[in-house]
Amino acid sequence: MGKSFDPSLIVNFVPTLIHYLGVTLQILAASVSLGMILGITAAILRVFRIPILNQFVILYISFIRGTPILIQLFLVFYGLPAILLFINIDISRMEALYFVIITYALSNGAHFAEIFRGAIKAVDHGQTEAAYSVGMNNGQSFRRIVLPQAIRIAFPNIANAIIGSLKDTSLAFTIGVMDMMGRGETLIAATAHGLEVYLSLSIIYYAVVLLFEKIFRLYENRINRHQAVNVSAAG
Amino acid sequence: MIYLKDIRKSFNQQPVLKGINLKVGKGEVVAILGPSGSGKTTLLRCLNFLDKPDEGIVQVGDVQVKTKKATKREILSLRRQSAMVFQHYNLFAHKTVLENVMEGLIVTKKYKKTDAKRESELMLKKVGLEDKHHHYPSQLSGGQQQRVGIARALALNPQVILFDEPTSALDPELVGEVLSVIKTIAQEGITMVIVTHEMSFAREVSDRVLFMDGGVIVEEGSPLEIFNAPKEERTRQFLNRISRDIPIPYLEEKAN
Repeated sequence: MGKSFDPSLIVNFVPTLIHYLGVTLQILAASVSLGMILGITAAILRVFRIPILNQFVILYISFIRGTPILIQLFLVFYGLPAILLFINIDISRMEALYFVIITYALSNGAHFAEIFRGAIKAVDHGQTEAAYSVGMNNGQSFRRIVLPQAIRIAFPNIANAIIGSLKDTSLAFTIGVMDMMGRGETLIAATAHGLEVYLSLSIIYYAVVLLFEKIFRLYENRINRHQAVNVSAAG
Repeated sequence: MIYLKDIRKSFNQQPVLKGINLKVGKGEVVAILGPSGSGKTTLLRCLNFLDKPDEGIVQVGDVQVKTKKATKREILSLRRQSAMVFQHYNLFAHKTVLENVMEGLIVTKKYKKTDAKRESELMLKKVGLEDKHHHYPSQLSGGQQQRVGIARALALNPQVILFDEPTSALDPELVGEVLSVIKTIAQEGITMVIVTHEMSFAREVSDRVLFMDGGVIVEEGSPLEIFNAPKEERTRQFLNRISRDIPIPYLEEKAN
């Protein structure tokens, strides 16, 4: 099984692999943005109990939560072209990257939807009534009063979900996407130094996650400045 | 200014309002008293359709809404006739004091930002909070928060201000500052409907007192009539029960 362990290789592997971090971050950025739109929409359909769509969203969320992401990835990769072929759209030549983005957007969307739904419900209903009492309609009170606060409440959980999603992107190589993990696999095939590659990958993923956590924490402090706990004496 | 005809409202088949008729004139200050569960808060909330009545006609200012046929648009324009001050203040937690007051002006009255700001600063001065513009609600005491609530309502320049137990959630030592602000604006001739448990305040500030019990208006009259010579047995019983909490000077005054 491979060659003898050579830690000095890590110094060579990390720069080679980090070159592909961009692809990983690209998948993450696209799937988180799309997932956010999907998640907020799904949460609104759930909270306001829009008929039919509400049931559809419940089914969607429960399916995503109940199946492994790897299987979802294969389902989209093989299933979506098959379905679209029925209506004469051929996407079998589409880059694998897009299938990954679609899958992760769907997955993030479901998880974000549940987080947002809880957050929307956590905003004190009295403030909605106050918004009505100053003459706002449903849309205005939701957009201006409820949603901004719901996003703040949801943020810590969303941040966790994003970090989880970052790590999940490491499965993209299974359908042939050349991200960090994919490049790592080719390195192993070429050098037979598997352990060094995986160690290099963990160093990179770990560093990125730590960086994300730091950024999220700073941002969280900023958006929560209106809450008493974070108020300094200067106020 | 306010005209209610045969307002009925039930929650889960439990009637809460059993046919309320009421007229309030321009500039009149009406206090609604009554034991808890008598329907007074529900009545107030029916005036701006935060609770939708099951039956009856609600008119505030020039807007009349027949409950059964009420459209969203009608409800919206009815709500824009009035403003409400809530028991639990219900300030917008993510907005500063100034933004709380500006919000209604910008969104529903379409004021320019600078105009809304000028107007809001004026209102905050009126309630004595000119030094708190950039504080968030969580940084204020209950009394200060409620005064922001009053400024937010005043800024809209509504036909009517509805007060839903404005001091019930306050620490006793903070009640005074809020009541004195309400007294000041009552003197400016704004029409007000106040649900309250503060008897001496109701007596002092109102032109007319309604006593509600069991979903109906049992008795109404001037504060003098209601507090000194109630006609109905139920009103008497309620006032007797309450009077135990009223400080001695008031009782002495009543005895004289």
